Amino acid sequence: MSEAVIKFEKFYYGYINGNVVLHDVNLQISKGSFTVISGPSGAGKTTLCKSMVGIIPYYYGGRYAGDVEVLGETTKGKRVSDLSMRVGLMLDDYESQLVSLTAGEEVAFGLLNHGFAPEEVATRIKQALADVGLPGRENYQLDELSGGQRQRLLLASVLAVHPEVLVLDEPVSAMDPDGAHALYKLLYKIYQEYHMTVIVVEHNINFLLPYATNMIVMNKGKVAAQGTFEEAAAIAYEMPELRQNLPELWQVKLALENRFGIALGAWRNEEDALKELQEKFVGGGL
Amino acid sequence: MKITAFTQLITVLAVTAWVFLLPVSAVATILVLELALLLYIKHDRLTMAAIGALTVFTGMMILLQLLFGSPLKVSLAGGLRMFVMTTAFLCLLAATKIQDIAQALVEKFHLPCEYAFMLTTALRFVPDFLTDSATTLDAQSCRGYSNRGNIFKRLYAYLAVVKPLVMRAVAKSDTLALSMELKGFGANTYQNMCPQKLGVADYMVLLIVIVLSAYPLWSKYL
Amino acid sequence: MIEAKAVNFAYHRGEPVLNDISCKIEDGEFVALLGHNGSGKTTLSRLFMALLHPRSGDVFVDGNNIADLEPADLAHQVGYVFQNPDLQILEDTVFEEVAYGPRCKNKSETKVKEQVGSALAAMGLAELYEAYPRTLSFGQKRRLGVAAALALNPQTLILDEITNGQDEQEKNNMMAYLEKLNQEKGITIILITHDMNIARQYTNRALVLHNGDLVFDGATATLYDGKSELNEWGLTQPIVATLSATFGVEAQNAEEFCEKLHLKEGVVQ
Repeated sequence: MSEAVIKFEKFYYGYINGNVVLHDVNLQISKGSFTVISGPSGAGKTTLCKSMVGIIPYYYGGRYAGDVEVLGETTKGKRVSDLSMRVGLMLDDYESQLVSLTAGEEVAFGLLNHGFAPEEVATRIKQALADVGLPGRENYQLDELSGGQRQRLLLASVLAVHPEVLVLDEPVSAMDPDGAHALYKLLYKIYQEYHMTVIVVEHNINFLLPYATNMIVMNKGKVAAQGTFEEAAAIAYEMPELRQNLPELWQVKLALENRFGIALGAWRNEEDALKELQEKFVGGGL
Repeated sequence: MKITAFTQLITVLAVTAWVFLLPVSAVATILVLELALLLYIKHDRLTMAAIGALTVFTGMMILLQLLFGSPLKVSLAGGLRMFVMTTAFLCLLAATKIQDIAQALVEKFHLPCEYAFMLTTALRFVPDFLTDSATTLDAQSCRGYSNRGNIFKRLYAYLAVVKPLVMRAVAKSDTLALSMELKGFGANTYQNMCPQKLGVADYMVLLIVIVLSAYPLWSKYL
Repeated sequence: MIEAKAVNFAYHRGEPVLNDISCKIEDGEFVALLGHNGSGKTTLSRLFMALLHPRSGDVFVDGNNIADLEPADLAHQVGYVFQNPDLQILEDTVFEEVAYGPRCKNKSETKVKEQVGSALAAMGLAELYEAYPRTLSFGQKRRLGVAAALALNPQTLILDEITNGQDEQEKNNMMAYLEKLNQEKGITIILITHDMNIARQYTNRALVLHNGDLVFDGATATLYDGKSELNEWGLTQPIVATLSATFGVEAQNAEEFCEKLHLKEGVVQ
């Protein structure tokens, strides 16, 4: 079994003036996995992401219990900026995460803060911008970039510090489907090329069906299901309020498996699903 | 000829002092030089609009002084001084990137890095806020707030937009602060940037500035 | 009733965004306005609300040409809800927020209370009338935006990506409210959306824009029957539609589809 890059042990958290939003969270993210975190709104997914870089509970304060381990070490007592060198975080309001006036400066920002030499910084900027499909745009002003390009710029600035883990919180919530597909395709390419561990919070799991190896389903602050994508989907299917968030193909697969007691393939795209369905089923009333 | 942000800042500060030290004829000369420099650096619509706005504002200031009983000469001199000072800042903004100004402020003037960074942040987010305010104005309009009417009515409409914008700014600044924390912003940030070295041109300009600033001293002997 | 006749539009000195668009939306319809990013669908909706005016051609609302009108003039006939709910919050309580419109139109305080109460009830926000809008959940804020537009009792509502960024429950919740408005109060709904599932399930008519041209204007069912050129227009067929068409059954969602399937003979269980 792969080593765990992120581990939550009996983790509870409540914001300073609020309710407890995470209850008894026990989970593990394996090295090299591509994990989807899904679940209804308010389930605690964003809080979970922020806990992976120590923002919660140490930057925000609040009440907590239990422990979060990142790459073998507890997040307690670590500086958020040090943790973020190893676990890159992209929040959903990506606009407000861009701090500089030009693309090059944005990517350089984190590197300069951590004392990288200027030549190293320049090389990394070039590489990072090329990786996200914005080659040579160091001098572009922020307002010369479109929304999708700005998001890729943020990704570049996160990648430039060479983190081992990438965490993205609803990266495509404001995008159209084409933009979303393009971003996830890029993300998958980077995931494979750099052998990273990727964690994505996403409502619409359809986008990630071709890529996800694992899934965690949150509900009301608790982990309702976790494991490989297949395992977690099967567990989530059993709970009516979580079933509707699963991709339609899997709702179909699990419904048919339950009803007819047969096993169907773990479809990752429409073509495979259609092929198998047409082999085994026929439509029509009875 | 490139001079660093530091030298430019010193020059602007010197000019601000000069308007009070030098006679009116000299100040007027400075104004002509400044306008020429500004238009040489940047002669786009925005710059012309800025100069135009400043002229109007200066005119209003002069009128106000006259209304309060100042003699004409004093009012005009006051207006001229203000115009020269503000045009100097315009030249600074036109000639230098704000990031370089911020760096010079931290390196040479020892301004805390958070304050210097505010300059960059302001510039970074102003276009975003302008776009957002356009949407809020549209939303107001769609709810029945009529934009017809005189300029005062329209200005009043902008006021109603301020509150939602401020709320949004506060929320955004939360994420921004978090983001900067994640990226490790701190004293290191400016220390690790390529330092702006003073060159020959810088020393020449600084020399001229010092000489001119000593005017009260050597004017006595001439 | 909203009508566009041979409408052309371009921004300032830019490329044309809309080419010769003509369409008519009658009262009581539930219309999906679809198209890829940059197809012109948001621009067209803004023309309907007089937020923009066409370069050539005319737009009519209830038979009147709106060329000289501004959005405030149309607010009692057409309500427009923008995509980002935060940018539309103007007041400090839910009540004040929804009362903004009627107050602009100088209604009496009793009338204002009546209209606000009715709008909040229609969107399921009645108990929240004293709440501070920024403490609402995202879904509630979206509904607040609709309530604020509803308060002026418009015949038509134009909604820009009203279900974007929400989970399935919230989407269905919002659509249920909208369906009720359409069926019980006869309000025309123009839904600008990327979500093909929502469009298929709830709307009865679809307008598809592609590169500024109106390429489809007809029943939603025809659009999703698997034979149209959705892919050419930069859109994707909803999965359930493809499955249903392949197997020759009718189904609105995955569950319905499964109920209509049967094992082929000879398949081992």
